[in-house]
Amino acid sequence: MSDCPAPPDLPAIARTIRRDIIELAHRSKSPHVGSALSCVDILIALYFDRLRLDPWPERDIFIMSKAHAAMALYSTLAARGIMSRELLAGYYVDDGTLPAHLERFSAPGIEASTGSLGHGFSMGLGMAYGFKKKAVARQVFTLIGDGESQEGSVWEGALFAPRLGLDNFTAIMDRNDLQGYGRPNEICAFESVREKWQAFGWQVFEIDGHDLALLSRALRQPAVGKPRMIIARTIKGKGVSFMEDALIWHYYVVTAAHKEKALRVLQ
Amino acid sequence: MRNSFVDTIVAECGHRQDLMIVSGDAGLGVFDTLQRDFPDRFLNLGVAEQNMAGFAAGLAMAGYKVFVYNIIPFLLYRCYEQVRNSICHQHLPVVLVGTGSGVTYAPAGISHYAVEDVGLARTLPQLIVISPADPEEARAAACYALTAEAPVYVRLAKSGERPIGREGEGALDITGPRVIRPGADIAVLFHGAIADEVIAASDALAALGVQPLLVSIPMLQPLDKERLYALLADMRAVLCVEEHFAGTGLGSLLAGLRLAGQGAWVLRIMGIPDGSITKIGDCNRLRQHFGISAVDIRRAVLELRTGLDHG
Repeated sequence: MSDCPAPPDLPAIARTIRRDIIELAHRSKSPHVGSALSCVDILIALYFDRLRLDPWPERDIFIMSKAHAAMALYSTLAARGIMSRELLAGYYVDDGTLPAHLERFSAPGIEASTGSLGHGFSMGLGMAYGFKKKAVARQVFTLIGDGESQEGSVWEGALFAPRLGLDNFTAIMDRNDLQGYGRPNEICAFESVREKWQAFGWQVFEIDGHDLALLSRALRQPAVGKPRMIIARTIKGKGVSFMEDALIWHYYVVTAAHKEKALRVLQ
Repeated sequence: MRNSFVDTIVAECGHRQDLMIVSGDAGLGVFDTLQRDFPDRFLNLGVAEQNMAGFAAGLAMAGYKVFVYNIIPFLLYRCYEQVRNSICHQHLPVVLVGTGSGVTYAPAGISHYAVEDVGLARTLPQLIVISPADPEEARAAACYALTAEAPVYVRLAKSGERPIGREGEGALDITGPRVIRPGADIAVLFHGAIADEVIAASDALAALGVQPLLVSIPMLQPLDKERLYALLADMRAVLCVEEHFAGTGLGSLLAGLRLAGQGAWVLRIMGIPDGSITKIGDCNRLRQHFGISAVDIRRAVLELRTGLDHG
């Protein structure tokens, strides 16, 4: 028998997190269940593989800029043991502990108050620059949505970060191809988004955002003096077949019937 | 006042490793000493105010004391939401240093005026708001900001303002009202660079044997109401003068206190009339146009005095 602990069963963890999201969304009647489901695998790749969390005061930083998917972060932090599972009961309820959008210090592991889109991205750049100045090896990761990528502040930061050589900063775009009102490319001239980031001087990867091996590899690419953008192609509502790639699940409430059906799928 | 503020910060860079000064592409020449002596402490974040404010928040989260320098509209207005959510709500020790208070930059136009910033800053309860009247108050504001553990907004004009303090005044405490000249019956309260008009009016009144109490209020939020009430206890009239919209500045704050039953004095507010500003002219011309020049202040004090005599 090996003395080493068995590696975590990531597919099982992913199912647990998705079940928690469904439970949270149902209990709270809160929107954005599709947005939360689309980024679960990205969060697993970060929290169960890439992020250096020990010692905690010197940990890598993850900022959830697309904070409307807060349910996914809460559930991941609980699954990883950073936040106690009991705290999930305080999500989106009267006198609760976990707000709909993220609140710094509301629970262990919530690094920044976010909710208005495009804010976490700039904060992440500032933190990465601060760590570089202090010559500490801490990395900063920020998750943004594809809808969020229309914010002016994102492009302000995109224009600026390469000059500072922020290769300790990685942005991940949850490219689920659905924002509040439709597909990004129908709403604005979104494509070719990869070429745009490349032209801005970023090291860009475009991968399947549900493939943990590919995510892990992209998140561990050696630094080349540039900030990194990982365009993670995902499916909104991923894992719950009737929610997948359906616009309504940006806002729809998960009823008892939806919940039962979803949990059956996530067995 | 800009130079005394910046010099104080730059001098401190030699003692503290955690100070960073970022600019939104403003202040050419202002940071020459800093860039020469401490080049790693200065960062120009370009013409990108939202990213500037968010980036400053992130730097503070990484353990830095950050000063953000810009012309007021590009410090508070363009990026109000980043200031609100990322800096103030997270209670980060970021110091927002704004220049061009009121119509300092006239005739640059409304885009460059800061005539509603006090009102806007006061909508952010976590933000400490300081409006220095002279280089001494600016220096004291810098010292205060250097050790503050909360977000601070410092409203500066430009450079070249004259000191207004009394001889032998002693240590300056900018957290409360500062008596500039003693007087009786009528108090003239003011903040910021309009001080020079108030002093000129006071000089003219002295020639007539009229001596109102002159009080600078450098810290507008939180306002030290207790010390202010104590100072105004024997006053019969208060004239508030500011280079700011009359409806949303210190005057409106005093009016609120007065309505809440604080103070028995008559209140008159002299500020920029709420409305569009299209008049072309330099700062002095616009102050005259808006009725907040030394001549207007002098007249207002005399009118108040007459009113009291006949009241």
